[in-house]
Amino acid sequence: MKKQTKIGFYICHCGTNIAAKVDVKLVAEHAKKILGVTVAKDYQYMCSDPGQDMIKKDIKELSLERIVIAACSPRMHELTFRKAVNQAGLNPYLLEIVNVREQCSWVHEDKTKATEKAKELVTASIARAKLLHPLKEDTMDVTPSALVIGGGIAGIESALDIAESGFKTYLVEKTDNLGGNVAKLNKTFTNLNDYSIILKKRIECLKANKNVELYLNSEVESVEGSLGNFKILIYQEGKKHEINSGVIIIATGYDLFDAKQKPELGYGKYNNVITSMDLEEKLSKDNLEINGKIPKKIFFLQCVGSRDHSVGNEYCSRVCCITSAKQAMQLKEKIPEADISINYIDVRAFGKGFEEFYEKAQKKGIIYRRGLISEVNRKKDRLVIKAEDTLSGEIYEEEADMVVLATGMVPKKGSEKLKDILKLQKSSDGFYAEAHPKLKPLDTSLDGIYLAGCCQGPKDIADSVAQAHGAASRALTYLFKGQVKTDPVVSEVDSTMCAGCDLCSKVCEYGALKINDYEKKMIVNTALCKGCGACNAACPSSAISLKHYTTEQVMSQVKELSSPEKE
Amino acid sequence: MTEKKLEDIIPEALVIGGGIAGMQAALEIADKGFKTYLVEKTPSVGGRMSQLDKTFPTLDCAACTITPKMVEVGNHPNIELLTYSEIKSIEKIGDNFKAVINKKPRYVDAKKCTGCGSCAEACVLKNRIPNEFDENKGKRAAAYVPFPQAVPLKYTIDPERCLTITKGKCGKNPKCKEACKPEAIDFSQKEESLEVKVGAVIIATGYDLFDAKQKPELGYGKYENVITGLEFERLVSSSGPTKGEIIINGKKPKNIVFIQCVGSRDHSVGNEYCSRVCCMYTAKQAHLIKEKIPDAKVTICYIDIRAFGKGFEEFYERVQKEGVIYRRGLPSEIYKKGEKLVVKAEDTLANEIYEEEADLVVLATGIMPRKDSKDISSMLGLSHTPDKFYAEKDPQDIINTNIDGVYLAGCCQGPKDIPDAVAQASGAAALASKRISKGKRL
Repeated sequence: MKKQTKIGFYICHCGTNIAAKVDVKLVAEHAKKILGVTVAKDYQYMCSDPGQDMIKKDIKELSLERIVIAACSPRMHELTFRKAVNQAGLNPYLLEIVNVREQCSWVHEDKTKATEKAKELVTASIARAKLLHPLKEDTMDVTPSALVIGGGIAGIESALDIAESGFKTYLVEKTDNLGGNVAKLNKTFTNLNDYSIILKKRIECLKANKNVELYLNSEVESVEGSLGNFKILIYQEGKKHEINSGVIIIATGYDLFDAKQKPELGYGKYNNVITSMDLEEKLSKDNLEINGKIPKKIFFLQCVGSRDHSVGNEYCSRVCCITSAKQAMQLKEKIPEADISINYIDVRAFGKGFEEFYEKAQKKGIIYRRGLISEVNRKKDRLVIKAEDTLSGEIYEEEADMVVLATGMVPKKGSEKLKDILKLQKSSDGFYAEAHPKLKPLDTSLDGIYLAGCCQGPKDIADSVAQAHGAASRALTYLFKGQVKTDPVVSEVDSTMCAGCDLCSKVCEYGALKINDYEKKMIVNTALCKGCGACNAACPSSAISLKHYTTEQVMSQVKELSSPEKE
Repeated sequence: MTEKKLEDIIPEALVIGGGIAGMQAALEIADKGFKTYLVEKTPSVGGRMSQLDKTFPTLDCAACTITPKMVEVGNHPNIELLTYSEIKSIEKIGDNFKAVINKKPRYVDAKKCTGCGSCAEACVLKNRIPNEFDENKGKRAAAYVPFPQAVPLKYTIDPERCLTITKGKCGKNPKCKEACKPEAIDFSQKEESLEVKVGAVIIATGYDLFDAKQKPELGYGKYENVITGLEFERLVSSSGPTKGEIIINGKKPKNIVFIQCVGSRDHSVGNEYCSRVCCMYTAKQAHLIKEKIPDAKVTICYIDIRAFGKGFEEFYERVQKEGVIYRRGLPSEIYKKGEKLVVKAEDTLANEIYEEEADLVVLATGIMPRKDSKDISSMLGLSHTPDKFYAEKDPQDIINTNIDGVYLAGCCQGPKDIPDAVAQASGAAALASKRISKGKRL
């Protein structure tokens, strides 16, 4: 007969978080009766140092082979306990956590029933624990270089941080020059800086840095591999370059909303209807004439292509309110007698110094009128705008010499292609999706690939630059470390069972599955696999299984939970 | 930058402030292999974010997302976590910084304390001291942890309340001492100071909230059913004093009015600026009320709705569809009529002056610089902007400061939401790491 596996069972009070609703002593007594359980204990705070020391001591003294801990969610302390059992000489994957807090004590009122549930969960986990196998964490060297895609201000700042930290940096830019949209701006809010001077300096720094390899007129054609070792094919004017990088930063920027999609505003039809970006150019050239005349009556229209369901853009573009305030003030400076109005819904002056700037614009005589312009028509060489003032409730028509449309930001054309190449995800607004909206704003769902600037969503220069430094930090962590740990909880294919049907690779979000052309069997790229298990469910012949969650292991748990309690 | 000078930079960093920005910055520097000191004034890391219930616009539970990060900070081999500690002095010497850190006595031996809570249970002042973590809406003992998930999970004895410390006597023998099995209570502890030398400093000291009593017409501090946004967070949080039940004067409120821009965009209190987060946290709170009290009437009084971030506009539309009423124009006055409050306001869209009866008024109080923010800036020679937050190098570069090697992260530089604070903190970590890696790498 097979020797019984020696199991140690521990249940945590978590102060009163668990103990108030689960009778931990009863659960421990219950566990003690299960075959194989050598020791069963309860403790106030299992995660504290004394709690961990108790487990370590038992492992050594009682030669325990499996550890089952009933405590909070494994998301909280699984790592803590894995480390502890490992220190006592046990493979960290021979540990099983039973969540009796979030999934038991916190969600139940009745102590008797909650205790019964905890017992059942514990029984099931002990059954599973017996079937656990030791797994090995591998380490992999990280190629000490980075790829930055996009040569706008975000890409430039990310690339500089990485290069200046001593690592090779490849910067790929689609156009023939660096600087992106920022290079087209005349002056920045709120300090009315000539940003081109700063930009020029940054570009010089980049070009002078020996660690930077610049690819202009280039596009990323394909990317293979994963965190630590990406193989990238760059296409540059008919030539192909292959490079290797450990990490990737995406900083591909944005496009401007095409105002022609709102034909009622007359853009493209009347040459005195222009966009904010057109106005930047006019300001830079210091030529404000339109139709041979200096405009005297000017309307700015906010939210063109933003906050607008009719064009499919529900979101706010974040920069237009202050851009218009800045431009209106610049025009007022150059044409003091001009009558300038800004038609808006809400003035979103949220950033540092923005509200002050907005007030300054009003003091300089810029008129803010709540309510958008619904129509722009031509009347001889002038324009007639039709709008509703939502404060007074009246509809009005006024003549104008120039209408400036504050067009919003939209995802970059071509962002779909890069999304497919890298297997990125997009959020509902069409911009690239971050891994977590609160705590991982710079990460993607893929390890080693980070986001900077407006490709993730509209933002101003300050926020783009901050994010660019942040994305560089995320990437640099792996470059400094030089090694990555690979998670052993990945799928594996039993090639004797695999029919090569390819169903599994279609459900894999991470591109971790590929058919071996020669044998026609599926192969798992363990560096890409996230251990989600989707392929296991898709496989019609049960040829793929997930380590640490094998069918046998999971079914043993289900069996215990579905069978009537046998004491 | 002269390479020769930079070779002397000490490859260690100091992060001041253990909120979400400070933790993020410290983790990112430590992950790169550099020793990092993280100094936090209160007994636990976590900061403001740990007080929040759910976060906009995805309604993620704040505690669930921040606690793993707190645990990581507590366990990181490269982070020396100094909680309940303050910067006594800091100065730049050459390219490096020298700081003296005061470790306040906890009167509990952290090495022995298991965090079991027996001392708090035994304390004669149990349930008698307002808990700051619950915005003073809940009660704690003199021996306490700010909240159950505190990191480190070590008890602290409040020196201003504990009878043994303040009166020299607590019964025959302090009950906490009797209750503590590992004998961790130690009333003989003294303040310790620690001198550290580092090559880079990140300031992440966070913010204070505007004191709504400065607007007496809104009745805060006078009527108990006028509360602040942060108090509402504790009220609606399942770990808060009411376990997440919205109860005011023993009843579920049926008519709730939110008021935006309390202490923001307001010259009368000297704050011209916008606090950036209030529009969205109010929208979220309105949603939480609708979720818990579906028949409640919820009105939000505003000037402009600043739903500018990713997914914000969508969330703003969502709460309107849920029946939340937005009325443009701020109330001028709140007064009491029987048990109810009356909110007097002008609707600037309908051009009418109206009065709304309310069971609960929530003031969206704005973000202010820390009261003691000048302490650190004057020692370092760090500038402030006119809004009194720490000054960034220029408006397009919000991480660098006027001092090489000093970086800003989070709300100490100006109001911002969690993802913007986290992104900035990561950015500050990049610049700090780049600086302190110079000596080694190039």
